[in-house]
Amino acid sequence: MHLRRYFLAILIASFELSFAFGQEPSQAEGSKFFDSQIKPILEAHCFSCHGGGKRLRGELDLTTHAGLVKGGENGKVIDLKTPGKSRLLVAINHGEIKMPPRGKLPQAQIDLLTKWVDMGAPYSASTVVRHGPPKVDDRAKSWWAFRPLKQLDLPKVADEKWVRNPIDAFILAKLESRGLKPAPPVDKEALLRRVTYDLIGLPPTPDEVKGFLADKSLDAYEKVVARLLNSPHYGERWARHWLDLVRYAETDSFERDNPKPFVWRYRDYVIRSFNEDKPYPQFIREQLAGDELDKVTADSLIATGYYRLGPWDDEPVDKALAYYDGLDDIVTTTGQVFLGLTISCARCHDHKIDPMPQKDYYRFLAFFHGIRHYGAAASLRPVALPEDLTKQNPKVSEYKRSVAEVEKQMQAIEEKVAPRLQGGEIDDFKFPTNRLDILRKNAGKLLSLEDFNRYQTLVESLEKLEKSRPTVMAQALCVNEVGPKAQDTFILVRGSPKAKGERVEPGFPSVLTDIKANLPDVPKDAKSSHRRRVLADWIASKENPLTWRVAANRLWQYHFGRGLVRSSSDFGYQGTPPTHLELLDWLAIRFAESGRFKEMHRLIVLSSTYRMSSKSSENGVAKDAENDLFWRFDPRRLAAEEIRDSILAVSGNINLTKMYGPSIYPKISKDVLAGQSQPGRGWKVSPPEEAARRSVYVHLKRSLQVPFLSVFDAADTDATCPVRFATTQPTQALSMLNGEFANEQAEIFAADVRKKAGDLAKDQVRLILWRACQREPSAREIERGVRLINDLAADGVARPDALRLYCLLALNLNEFVYLD
Amino acid sequence: MQGDFCGRTRREFLWESGCGFGAVALSALLGDDFFGSQQVRADGVTPFRNPLAPRPPHFEPKARSVIFLFMYGGPSHIDTFDYKPTMYGRDNQTVEVRTFGRGGHRNQGRIVEPRWRFRQYGECGKRVSDLFPYLAQRVDDIAFLHSMTADSPIHGSAMLMMNSGRILSGHPALGSWVNYGLGTVNQDLPGFVVMLDPRGGPISGARNWTSGYMPAYFEGTVMRSQGTPILNLNRPGGVSATSQRQVLDALRDYNEAHGMTRAGNSALNARIASYELAYRMQSSAPEAVDLTQETNETRQLYGMDEGRSEAFGRQCLLARRLVERGVRCIQIYSGGNHNDANWDAHGDLAHNHNLHAGETDKPIAGLLTDLKRRGLLDSTLVVWGGEFGRQPTAEYARGTGRDHNSYGFTMWLAGGGIRGGVSVGSTDELGSAAAERPFHVKHLHATILHQLGLDPNRLSYFHGGLDQKLVGVEGAEPIREIIA
Repeated sequence: MHLRRYFLAILIASFELSFAFGQEPSQAEGSKFFDSQIKPILEAHCFSCHGGGKRLRGELDLTTHAGLVKGGENGKVIDLKTPGKSRLLVAINHGEIKMPPRGKLPQAQIDLLTKWVDMGAPYSASTVVRHGPPKVDDRAKSWWAFRPLKQLDLPKVADEKWVRNPIDAFILAKLESRGLKPAPPVDKEALLRRVTYDLIGLPPTPDEVKGFLADKSLDAYEKVVARLLNSPHYGERWARHWLDLVRYAETDSFERDNPKPFVWRYRDYVIRSFNEDKPYPQFIREQLAGDELDKVTADSLIATGYYRLGPWDDEPVDKALAYYDGLDDIVTTTGQVFLGLTISCARCHDHKIDPMPQKDYYRFLAFFHGIRHYGAAASLRPVALPEDLTKQNPKVSEYKRSVAEVEKQMQAIEEKVAPRLQGGEIDDFKFPTNRLDILRKNAGKLLSLEDFNRYQTLVESLEKLEKSRPTVMAQALCVNEVGPKAQDTFILVRGSPKAKGERVEPGFPSVLTDIKANLPDVPKDAKSSHRRRVLADWIASKENPLTWRVAANRLWQYHFGRGLVRSSSDFGYQGTPPTHLELLDWLAIRFAESGRFKEMHRLIVLSSTYRMSSKSSENGVAKDAENDLFWRFDPRRLAAEEIRDSILAVSGNINLTKMYGPSIYPKISKDVLAGQSQPGRGWKVSPPEEAARRSVYVHLKRSLQVPFLSVFDAADTDATCPVRFATTQPTQALSMLNGEFANEQAEIFAADVRKKAGDLAKDQVRLILWRACQREPSAREIERGVRLINDLAADGVARPDALRLYCLLALNLNEFVYLD
Repeated sequence: MQGDFCGRTRREFLWESGCGFGAVALSALLGDDFFGSQQVRADGVTPFRNPLAPRPPHFEPKARSVIFLFMYGGPSHIDTFDYKPTMYGRDNQTVEVRTFGRGGHRNQGRIVEPRWRFRQYGECGKRVSDLFPYLAQRVDDIAFLHSMTADSPIHGSAMLMMNSGRILSGHPALGSWVNYGLGTVNQDLPGFVVMLDPRGGPISGARNWTSGYMPAYFEGTVMRSQGTPILNLNRPGGVSATSQRQVLDALRDYNEAHGMTRAGNSALNARIASYELAYRMQSSAPEAVDLTQETNETRQLYGMDEGRSEAFGRQCLLARRLVERGVRCIQIYSGGNHNDANWDAHGDLAHNHNLHAGETDKPIAGLLTDLKRRGLLDSTLVVWGGEFGRQPTAEYARGTGRDHNSYGFTMWLAGGGIRGGVSVGSTDELGSAAAERPFHVKHLHATILHQLGLDPNRLSYFHGGLDQKLVGVEGAEPIREIIA
């Protein structure tokens, strides 16, 4: 056998002999096999790095047999004597080497490659494989993510009793086919905890736990789910997921990192949208084209703040480039968030991995090419409707007059000082945000102390006036276009605004549809080109295969900790293939029918799949260590906001009643503020009651993130964040043990416990553990706590301090930050 | 089980796979991989491994650590190290020269003659201005790059570029890349330390040492040379070490009991271990910053006996101690806040540069001397420079202030396998733009990575559909002329 393989290898390697032994495939058969079965796999998964291009990974070229035999910088990859030992096979089976690195190939493809290696890895003599951008052809269009959604039959399962709804059928069918059983149902306390955090991002209260345990009715759980979905805190929780995706932050980054005025209205819009169960198509249309809809509302205008959330350099080195960088930020975010496409990779050249020519990037960009570059002034719009604004409103004219008066007086002082400034302050003074500080520095020098004091008072009255701005004059950060005619769009050669190529019209990604983007005729006095409306309608249509697959996958990810497609913002060739494609398609179709999030939540959390325990099993680990098939529920660590909110909640301190409005500023220590060029600037500390509000309301300053949140992996704000990290690091421990926030809350927690549990240590410990873990603590757990308090007291720690330390311990428990 | 790719999230997963090591190196790396132990794994006994555990370099490194002395604000190259003899005697002359700074594009300007004399030093005979009498004596250890260029002459974007290679916000800093590529040998200390000027941080604050799209543990940790060295390192007031130990012991009991029934979640064990590491950091970090262990002679060497150079001297000395303890990347800012609180000499050039050079000259010379006599200079790369240089002409009608200049400026490197006593590249006669051998910031970054044993064109991180690199998708070669 070995000998024969050896000969065959030589035969195919040399391509000189034209006959074959016995049953072994002929050269022609080998070529055919390569062309039909192997080449597509190599093209899709290998050639991007090993395709003989300029940048070869590991010096391994897989486009020719010679290259394959030669191997890479780390030696041979194929063993022609004993093909089974080829490192190529080790790699594709994800042994000690793992290829493709971004995820294992489906077993069927591994089998084909194994067979091919066994045959001696024949290539096709006639075909020259070239590295180059993937083509938009029928094969590309039939990629699992790009093809149309199609109704599917539910799979048959043996254990029908387990199936509560179709989700379970898809999950169970796969488990059964691999000889796996789903984990048993999770216990009631853990289920309540899981679903409460999942839907509202807060721990259940002890009363809610007791109530649920006592409720023996068959629909006890359904009632809990209904309660949670009706809770206003649901919107606060799920809005945060969306805010991650749209890179929501409230300042511009760069030198001044100025606040984005009224940007919080967008955050509130998202919270309200979730709470109102707004259909997803409407949610899409409002954000992408809220100003171009048939019926424009205050809400739909606020929604277009979507375009204004990214970082913005107010002093760009190259204005033309900065303008395109701004559009690129929009293309990147829109492509990834709504469509799971990394369109931005085609800005400078054809996409190297996905079937997306550079032209598609600029056709997509053309939809946005009427947008005026960001700038607070260019982006603020009244949210009241025109008819309300035209009404003669004495309050409005009064307000306008007062503001003008104050500004006039400020200007008078500024004009006195400006011409006498020196050095860098001359230019700094051009930015209004710098003026107060510069005047302060020069008070008594370039201007009298009296003038400065007056200026400061004027600034304060302006702030006060701003707060009393008549509601009818409320403003929001919105999209604005240059007019009815958008700018012409050209392909930019190598992405350079200076190198204009072919002119293009707005168009959808060519691999997804041949439909032309029909641009409407727009009246001459229109404020915008109505191009974005065309894009929004196409994205929001029921037929768009990516919109619904991507959204259904995100829903799944937020409920289960990982998507059916793990690369939830990349459904292209380099994304990870879905573990359950049929389930994904079924969910996508179902979601497309109603577009309602709450219906999907209900469906998912009521499934048996969701209600599984997170306990491990030997069989499960042996067959599917990574839980690809969902034989158990993956445990998870709470996200940054959940941890902060939980600490506030269990210490009895959280302010849940106040929702919406301008953001809050929790205290940040001086040591951290020292990292700012002007320590403390842009961070006005909120009073305690405000600071005790939920984390979704914390001001998101790009250059000064609240350390407690960032240490627990809050989303970075400068790019769309589809999946949070969940790291474990000692700085988290330090902030939980020594940090000001944790210690202050422990103090409040202890005081509340003393009030409610009386003086006995065991009662206090019991209540503390109840609140932190949301279950009845065991006698041993109580005893351990009492022992600690006594030990501390014996060492001279005062009783209240000992109790506070025990509260701090409770906030540090693994059980507190991990969900089963 | 070891080294499998069970990425809980694609982002983490890609962090591993996207880092561009060859296949074998990759598998070696995974054997010691942090994420392997962070996953929700079934064995339940995987010990905690610090995410910054050492990782093998691409090739044998010359340098183990890098100290980046960041002259924030932009020092004037023609007043420091880039000698322009023909400019003397031409003060206030109007010249045709293309400049671009904060004041915009100009084609003409009024010359501000360099305000200091240059003298020759060392065996190499390098000319250095009188701003740096101490540092000048180390020129035989230094390689000067006189033809640096950057993409922006505006502080905000230029700072980001010098720190992260891009003029846009959101990309990881050099120190994050170094720790991502190499980890750190001392797990009780952060791998990327930033020390700030007492007058405040640089503009954009923490965006300058952010890990961007990488996990937060790669971001720079601000370390103070006095008081609490690291945020949250000190126990809160009134809590003794014994009390804290008792709390931690009880915490451990609870966590272990909780973990007993959850063998499928190894992250729980990792978290238990991270508390022990945090506990150890509370003693190791204060030890590292305890300068009382240093002799008077050493403190004087760093200029700590003089008021003006005390603060920067303390930070330089601290940097040496951190290098000795295995910290990978240390960045010290000279200058903070705005305008004359840093090197941003828009007003009175002499006043500004005398101040900042006076604060840093002796400490930097002391650092080089001290590293060398301890045998540490060979393995420690010292980098000096700001986000750009300054123009040869005046910014305003009156005064000696110079506007920003990213068309040409000087940076220097020493130690860590860099040839001493060499000068590479040049600017034109006025110092307005790079002339011979222009280098871009990415070449500097490539050189730093290369000296640390990392191939700048292979060190990549998968994000947003792209293998991102510090040196950009098109790559950059290290500056070979200065590599020993």
